[in-house]
Amino acid sequence: MLTVEQKKQFSEIFEELSNNLDISETQHNNAVKSYQAVGNWLSQEDSILAKYKPQILTQGSFLLGTVIQPINDIDDIDIDLVCELTGKNIEWTQNDLKRIVGERLKQNATYEEMLDEEGRRCWTLEYRKESEYLKEKYHMDILPSIINEGYSMILEKAFSHTDIRNVDNLAIRITDKESDNYKSDTNTDNWLKSNPFGYGKWFFNRAEISNLKLFSLNESIKPAPKYQQKKLPLQRAVQVLKRHRDIIFNGDEDKPISIIITTLSGKAYNQEENLIDAIKNIINTMHNHIEERYDSDLNKRIKYIPNPVNEEENFADKWIEYPQREKNFYLWLDKIKTDFSDILSQSQGLQFINESMQKSFGKDITTKTFSSYGERQRVNRENGNLKVSSLTGTIGAVGTKIKNHNFYGAEEKE
Amino acid sequence: MRLAQKLKIIIFTVQKRKNKRISLIIQEGKLKSIYPDSKINRNRESSLKWVGVLKPTPLSQEYEVKLVYKKNKGVDVYITSPKELKRFNKNNLPHVYSTKEQKLCLYYPKYREWTVEQLYTDSIIPWTSEWLMHYEIWLITGVWSGGGKHPPKNKEKEKSKKE
Repeated sequence: MLTVEQKKQFSEIFEELSNNLDISETQHNNAVKSYQAVGNWLSQEDSILAKYKPQILTQGSFLLGTVIQPINDIDDIDIDLVCELTGKNIEWTQNDLKRIVGERLKQNATYEEMLDEEGRRCWTLEYRKESEYLKEKYHMDILPSIINEGYSMILEKAFSHTDIRNVDNLAIRITDKESDNYKSDTNTDNWLKSNPFGYGKWFFNRAEISNLKLFSLNESIKPAPKYQQKKLPLQRAVQVLKRHRDIIFNGDEDKPISIIITTLSGKAYNQEENLIDAIKNIINTMHNHIEERYDSDLNKRIKYIPNPVNEEENFADKWIEYPQREKNFYLWLDKIKTDFSDILSQSQGLQFINESMQKSFGKDITTKTFSSYGERQRVNRENGNLKVSSLTGTIGAVGTKIKNHNFYGAEEKE
Repeated sequence: MRLAQKLKIIIFTVQKRKNKRISLIIQEGKLKSIYPDSKINRNRESSLKWVGVLKPTPLSQEYEVKLVYKKNKGVDVYITSPKELKRFNKNNLPHVYSTKEQKLCLYYPKYREWTVEQLYTDSIIPWTSEWLMHYEIWLITGVWSGGGKHPPKNKEKEKSKKE
């Protein structure tokens, strides 16, 4: 059993881990700059799209604040974006809209070069900017979509209070190459609905804890959201879980997908303020939120993880076609439980905690975590915020303040 | 009134200067009260030895520490258990006078960060805990994160710093 102080220290170490998993402020600002430039290009006067006021917003993990660095430095960060158009030419089908957005991108030589093969719902730009100091490598998935007049007001309103009803109002219409009416239907009411901002709203509602109320809500739906250094425990827990998933499955296509991890975490989370409590509760109870429902087409019961803002969408729908994905999910869940309890059983030296964490999260990130943990402790002492307790001389929040000083010492000759 | 106040301050300062050294009896009493499980040997006002166990952070291991004060020789601190501290890549320990003796350098003498006017329990011992915490982190990263100073390698360097 951990003492209160040990749990607090573990929580601080895991917070430091999540800080290191997160994208940096520079990466964030560069990504925002890049997608804003795309937005500007789409909305320039000579663009056929200009009168529909194209606007680019983030969705997915970038919106939720659960982005993590890729395992390898050479891999890309994924940034999911929505390109909103207020209305459209009444004659456009999904196919037309998708094509016109693509064509406008191709009119710009830079974007033409970055443009990847057309996706089912998105256009993807591959950013590759490398300099001596900075490697910028990210995938931007741009989802063309149609919104109604006045949408941004509704969105802003929805993100300024905690009421979760009426999230349906936040749904947008998107194009889907695999839909039957892709090339025929011009009425957006018949197009596929998607609700990335409704989902975001749901997630932040789940993440909120009383003493950090609404702190990241409004910012996250702004066209150029500021970098948020402070994070809620649920956001950090999701980052930690996703990282463990990446280490266990590396590039395996049948790995548990982020939306499933994020949704089940959000459902299981119980407003724990301590990150260790949050992770423990999430991994121990998330399986309870996987439902079983009867599927009349297949005439059998299937696993069902409903989209919290759209009951009809099953995030686990692929498990039917790829049973390995279901197996892998449960394997991963077992593994993270074992690994997490192994980490928490180390209480006889930070070096042993490091060794245990390396297996779950990777060597480099764990070393970085302890290095920033050490730096933080030094700064804490310099600011007079470190104390030592009596009896054991243990550093923490209680006891005698550690006076400022300079460690000294000659560099010895070997 | 103002003058009287000033005088008071002057008198107080003079008194304080006179009594600036903390006697070893007081040091001993304070050590005993804060670290009741530790062992203390004192030889009047000429020397003091303290041996105690520190657990630098809630998740750290325990270390036995020896503090030795000898009049006119200052205070020395050693890690006595484990007898051989683990090391990062067999490198010498950071911020020590001697890796072999496990004798720590906890403060910069020139800045008079520690003097006989200070209680061990307010300075040397908390700094030892802090050293141990950063030592555990050093074992992981190979880099000292606790800050501090290294003496200049030669006199010229020192000279240039002064300028």
